[in-house]
Amino acid sequence: MGSSQRTPLLVVAVAALAGAFFAGVLTFDFVAHLDRQVHAITCSVTPGLSAPDSSGSSGCHAALMSPYSSVARRWTWGGIPISLPALAVFAFLLFRSLDLLLAGAARPAQATAFLLAATLLPLFASIVYFLLSVLRLKTLCTLCTALYVASIACFAAALVAHRRAAAGGSLRPVAWGWHIVQFCEGVLFVAIPVLVYLLVKPAYPEQVAHCGGLLHPEDRYQMRLPLARQGGGVPTIEVLDPLCPACRALSLRLGASGLAQQLDREVVLFPLDATCNWMVSESLHPGSCTVSEAILAAGPQAETVLTWALDHQPELRTLGARSEKELSARIVKEFPQLAGALGSPAVKSRLNRSLRWVVANSLPVLTPQVFVGGRKVCDEDTDLGLEYVLTRLLHERSLAPSGVGGR
Amino acid sequence: MRSGLRHVALFLGTLLAVTALVAAWVRGAAVRLDRLVAEQSGERAVAVASAADEGYCTGELKRILRRVLTSCGLVQGGSQRGCQPLQARSVAAMSGADFNALFVPLADRAAIIQFDQDSADLDAQAIELLDRTFADQRGASYFLVVSRASPEGSVAYNRELSRRRAESVLQHLEERFHDPDLEREVGLLWLGEEFAQLDREFCQWQRSRPTGPCGGAELNRSAFVAWIDCRL
Repeated sequence: MGSSQRTPLLVVAVAALAGAFFAGVLTFDFVAHLDRQVHAITCSVTPGLSAPDSSGSSGCHAALMSPYSSVARRWTWGGIPISLPALAVFAFLLFRSLDLLLAGAARPAQATAFLLAATLLPLFASIVYFLLSVLRLKTLCTLCTALYVASIACFAAALVAHRRAAAGGSLRPVAWGWHIVQFCEGVLFVAIPVLVYLLVKPAYPEQVAHCGGLLHPEDRYQMRLPLARQGGGVPTIEVLDPLCPACRALSLRLGASGLAQQLDREVVLFPLDATCNWMVSESLHPGSCTVSEAILAAGPQAETVLTWALDHQPELRTLGARSEKELSARIVKEFPQLAGALGSPAVKSRLNRSLRWVVANSLPVLTPQVFVGGRKVCDEDTDLGLEYVLTRLLHERSLAPSGVGGR
Repeated sequence: MRSGLRHVALFLGTLLAVTALVAAWVRGAAVRLDRLVAEQSGERAVAVASAADEGYCTGELKRILRRVLTSCGLVQGGSQRGCQPLQARSVAAMSGADFNALFVPLADRAAIIQFDQDSADLDAQAIELLDRTFADQRGASYFLVVSRASPEGSVAYNRELSRRRAESVLQHLEERFHDPDLEREVGLLWLGEEFAQLDREFCQWQRSRPTGPCGGAELNRSAFVAWIDCRL
């Protein structure tokens, strides 16, 4: 095999190694959360050289906590991280390209064609995930982008390798059995790590953990906001800060899970912004008091304003940190009907009642919090484990005698 | 044959490396979780939501406030809403100047709602300031309305006038805010012309008529309102 054929294979190997490295870092970060604690995550192509993200506001965090970071979430706590099969596929491409390099002229016929076909999988997955990032998450994760680049590089180099092999006349027809063996090797590369992951990962207790409930669930202040009610669903209260990244991730996960249809959801606004919330000494999410006022002032349009705020969190947080005036102007530009309502005594008082409801229920000062049928979903289950725990909770409720577990 | 062995070795080597890495990571998380569960006593280091309790709420201030507020119906167990002037003097057990000094730390949480002579009607400026002050509750538990009257007229008449001023404030708050907690958070104290009259130092405070004259008469034709950020 000449250098003209060896070079593209070498590029495939290097790109696959890089892809495996980035997918490995993503998998490591995901797996770390299986202990159900909060962790800083890597958001750099040079892990260890730059500080990990502990604020929860980076694109990498949004991607990790999004409903698209893993599959089979209803079946196992946290699901299977999509980066795990990605790691396996890149490892397989590394194996295939090294094998071809070492085989030299003795390599099996049409081996480059199979390699090219194998690179289509990460390429296709990268396109899908890039679109999801841009269209749904509205942010890009640095490591994921590195993974997309590695996928493209693998495909491009494999294409060149195959074309050069074809031009060199080294392609001969081979038996179908050869292709099946190659395919099975690829399947094993994915299946075995996934199987090991499922076997070793921590088991969830038989019963859904009890994490308390509400002392005074009644809406005596009439400040809870109903969200697209289904009627007949399980009463669910979400305690949210409209500018908290974890709250947006929760909203996305609930929407994507398909479980929201079984819930009658209401929102209690709990902005972690010192402007209106005396329980925080500094603003975790500057501007969220003003945004909360806008949501409360919007009346029947409250859900629209909430959705808009969740979708524009980074911009609104930046404006909130810079100037309340600019933030108000941005909100009014989007929702002109709110002009005059922001900052008015009536809406301020309403927001204060929302905070007082949180005080009356002695809730922890954190967001998001979810109560299903009056029962609190444990804080550690509101991110990656939400779909799994919610499914179990709804199942337990369906088995419980009528009237048990209601508000 | 050799190429077959190399292929298998490479296959197994790569696959094992990936699998071992994943197993080690997941096992690490499982061990951490087991350790956390074993250590967990159910207590979490997260603050719990509560009403405000500012630094100025010293033990002495709370003791006096509790005595005043209980007698004036703000604290649960109080038997009435509002205090008569003599009662205020006795429950406060202090001079008028000392009583007013109690409110000095609340300067940025208080406002003086001014009235016309012989009137308990709130004008537009008074309503605007009252609404703004009341809406700025934050974590405060009690809203104190201390009304007074200027010395024109008889003591009894001024006592009654200051009562009407306090109730006028309360009525407005009820109508404007429909707050279900109003009954237990707004306390009325009417002092007539007899006790703890405001002196000119209070001219610097937020008033509904900031540009108007600020003599003793104008200052005391008023309802002094303030949120108290103390848990009793």
